[in-house]
Amino acid sequence: MKKYLSNRKAIIVFCLPAIILFCVFIFVPILQVFYYSFFDWDGVNQATFVGLANYKRLLLKDPVFKTANLNGFKFGVVITVYQLVLATIFAIAVSDKRIRFRKFFRTAYFIPVVLSVTVVCQLWGNVLNADNGLLNTLMSRLGINWSQNWLNDRNTAIYTVAFVNAWQWMGYQFALIVAGIKSIGEDFYEAAEIDGATSLKAHWYITLPLLKDTFNFCLLISVTGGIKAFSEIDIMTGGGPGNATYTLTYIMYNYAFGRQKFGYGLTSSAVLVIECLVIILALNWLFKDRENPLFSRRKGVEIV
Amino acid sequence: MKKFLCILLAAMMVIGCASAMAEEKIKLQIYAQYADDDTKVPYDYAVEKLAEAYPNVELELIPQAQDDGATLLALATAGKLPDIYQTGSGIVTTLRNSKQMMVINDVAEKTGFLEKVYETEKQYMIADDGNMYAFPYAGQEYVLWFVNNALFEQYNVEIPTTYDELIAAAEVFNANGIVPMALFGQEGWISAAMYDAIATRYITAGIKGLDNGATSIEDEAYLKAAEDLVKLAKAGVFQAAVTTTNYDQASEMFLGGKAAMFLNGQWYIEDATKALGDDVTWIAYPSYDEASYEAGKHAFSGGGGSISGYAVNPDSPNAELAAEVAAFISEKYCEAKVTLRNNPLVAVNTGLTNDQLPKMMQDLVAEMPNMTSTTAFTWGLTNTTLANAIGVAGQSLLSGQYEAQEVIDQLTFELGW
Amino acid sequence: MKKKGSGPRQYTGVSATIFTIFLWAYAIFSLYPLLWMILYSFKDNTEIFQTNPFGLPQVWRFENYVNAWNQYDVPLYFKNSVIVGAGTVILTIICAMMFTFAVTRLQWKGRDAARTFISTGQFIPVQAILLPVVQTVAGLHLMDTYWSLILPYAAINLAFSCMVYYGFFKGIPKEMEEAACIDGASIWQTFFLIIMPLVGPATMTIAIYVFLSAWNEFLLANVLVGTTAHLKTLPLGVLFFQGQFTTDWGSMGATMVIASLPAIVVYCLFSEQVEGAMTTSGAVKG
Repeated sequence: MKKYLSNRKAIIVFCLPAIILFCVFIFVPILQVFYYSFFDWDGVNQATFVGLANYKRLLLKDPVFKTANLNGFKFGVVITVYQLVLATIFAIAVSDKRIRFRKFFRTAYFIPVVLSVTVVCQLWGNVLNADNGLLNTLMSRLGINWSQNWLNDRNTAIYTVAFVNAWQWMGYQFALIVAGIKSIGEDFYEAAEIDGATSLKAHWYITLPLLKDTFNFCLLISVTGGIKAFSEIDIMTGGGPGNATYTLTYIMYNYAFGRQKFGYGLTSSAVLVIECLVIILALNWLFKDRENPLFSRRKGVEIV
Repeated sequence: MKKFLCILLAAMMVIGCASAMAEEKIKLQIYAQYADDDTKVPYDYAVEKLAEAYPNVELELIPQAQDDGATLLALATAGKLPDIYQTGSGIVTTLRNSKQMMVINDVAEKTGFLEKVYETEKQYMIADDGNMYAFPYAGQEYVLWFVNNALFEQYNVEIPTTYDELIAAAEVFNANGIVPMALFGQEGWISAAMYDAIATRYITAGIKGLDNGATSIEDEAYLKAAEDLVKLAKAGVFQAAVTTTNYDQASEMFLGGKAAMFLNGQWYIEDATKALGDDVTWIAYPSYDEASYEAGKHAFSGGGGSISGYAVNPDSPNAELAAEVAAFISEKYCEAKVTLRNNPLVAVNTGLTNDQLPKMMQDLVAEMPNMTSTTAFTWGLTNTTLANAIGVAGQSLLSGQYEAQEVIDQLTFELGW
Repeated sequence: MKKKGSGPRQYTGVSATIFTIFLWAYAIFSLYPLLWMILYSFKDNTEIFQTNPFGLPQVWRFENYVNAWNQYDVPLYFKNSVIVGAGTVILTIICAMMFTFAVTRLQWKGRDAARTFISTGQFIPVQAILLPVVQTVAGLHLMDTYWSLILPYAAINLAFSCMVYYGFFKGIPKEMEEAACIDGASIWQTFFLIIMPLVGPATMTIAIYVFLSAWNEFLLANVLVGTTAHLKTLPLGVLFFQGQFTTDWGSMGATMVIASLPAIVVYCLFSEQVEGAMTTSGAVKG
């Protein structure tokens, strides 16, 4: 049997397409990002080697670097909390046979994922417009004196943008958690019910701990999603007001394409890649106590 | 329901697979602006004329993305530039070094294009290496401060000449639910133009001086201008969402009578006149005091010209033909602008005249000999870092949430590359 | 209280009611943009920005759709989107399925490392590698072919697909291969005839995710096929309504509806299968 499963030819044939595809279009480009981060390059012409100059400037001198990292952190926190909390609640709800219209809810919660980011940002940009947006208009009609400059406030705009991202991708995490719950199987609930546990308790003590791996995966997606945030910022605030909503990706885009400073832009990308890897390792360490680190393992499947 | 969806999907597939037939013509790709009347009308006109003059050529339009040249740069990296493309000053240096921008000296001469270019524009058409790279069509363009006089009369407000008056006017308008000045601050170039307009009250070179090295960002004038803009923003001169307002939103406010003032280029005259008639005029930029207002009455933001227009990809299989077509199109743009858009400020002398110019355009043409100084639009700047950073800085100031010193410090850091 | 015996009993009480209201409220909150987008596609700029951003159009401007349709070759773009979407899905699934099979079921050194290596792809922002990818595609002379989009898209979606497959593959009991081995099936037969059908449900899920991601992608498409008229995909149609200073938002809305509708239809058609799939994944435990 061991020999059967260590058929070398099979291993190579099965792995090669994915490895080649990944190397050519993801891994080598990443290496190129690191390579060019040591150059002064306009993206088109000959690049000039500048050593660590780009890193020195970005990490030590550029005030926007700090803003960008803080924004990535805030963005990550908002989408993680929003998505995980709501996705868990909704996933538990639609997995419960005693709740009606579950199928409808499932579709409804997932729909934002189906739409393109452009569409979603257009909508929210208009809802949140400080001058004539739906939200402020609605509040003033209701006599609530709490109109906000949602997308134009230097200190809070990043939270608003993060919310829009969280809103759109909540359905993604929702679907993952629903799948996780399904794999736990109903026997658990039935057992819990016979024991007389209330649903809340049953979920708290049974569902959630078993979803640890799924949560690990979700957490990775949302935290790194925060650091690499780009589209929503590009479409809704353009990094503004001023540079208040810049993230590392936005620095890279702005320098590379807006200023033809590709070397510097790619330095920002390189830092981003490193930060993402560090976070993956940190989260894995936090969730460690089982053999495979990076993947959502459907433990339920094996326990039963 | 499900059946219906299946049918719908099937129908879409069928439609999807019925694709168009290609014709036997020389196809040239052209990367051009094509969105509103100011860009569509000249393009359509040029295409129509092209069909008569070059019946064997067919243009394939690639509409320009709204991304500050990002797409163009990426296409250049991939070596996939279109046959003819619209270019601004910033990218010219990069692309001519990489030999992706054709030297058009011969074609400009051969087609007679060069002869027809106005003397004032010729100096901009020729780059610092003595070559020509793009066929220009836009002439001198200016940043104009538009006012809706009807609103000023209705609320009994004087046209402002100083910032104090402007702030007083803003208070009245705000109290009546009118936006004092609509600005599409989402765009970097207009944020920079607003800052430039204020800076020119202190230093006539404005942001252009920073581009050619005539002035330094550390000159006190730039800080003072920043302070003025922050003061205006804090006093509520601009709409609340100024930093996320796009052109359409701001323009709708002004044309819809919901904003009393508006800042834009002179090409807006046609649209403004159509919507507001005689109510709208442009005024000299207000200033920090009466004396400087008077002194700077004829100092304008914008103008300056630039190496911009239609450039040609030398690697195109039909490069020579593409260059001829580019020259032809630029000239037709000028014709269309003069006759169909009432905008005589073009690069090429088309021999056409238009005696139906709107009042504001007549005023501007009359003002041109009196102008004491002009600056530049961001796309006319050669320093790409400056062009980009000044837009960000302008927006910071417009938001009223940054201190002037902070913004200037950041700008100093970014320009000290 | 509901009568017992008529299916699962429903929750009752104040808190249950509040919770139900919450579920409904969020569902509306999620669905509103669809409605908004459709309404917006029938308006002009004045209505969208000034007079009536959120209500029913005062005048139904079907001309927006006519505009959208006339501005670019909708059927062609649609066909391209379908080809690119389908190609990406097929390629991603082939690569991911084989790879995950190798790292979960086959025994070799370095399989964990290989898996971790691929999974890092999930966390790389596309913008960061945009230029190198474009250079690679150009260097491989893939420009002007559908592969210029399909290959990068498949690479980008690989990590996620492998992660989803991993869970399913792990759930398949070892006895499956053992039995196959004893019956004399080759490793290839085991993969194609036994394992592949078993992970079918996961394949369905992945197919939908990957299809949606390829269908909505704009950034790479803009650079890679932006100047190749016969390869352009639907999201690029939006560009025809975006100028330097002004935009025809109504027609852009129509374009967005045209581009989104197929994705929504595909999701509605197959979402049930996905859910069915997720359920049976539990059954794999056998």
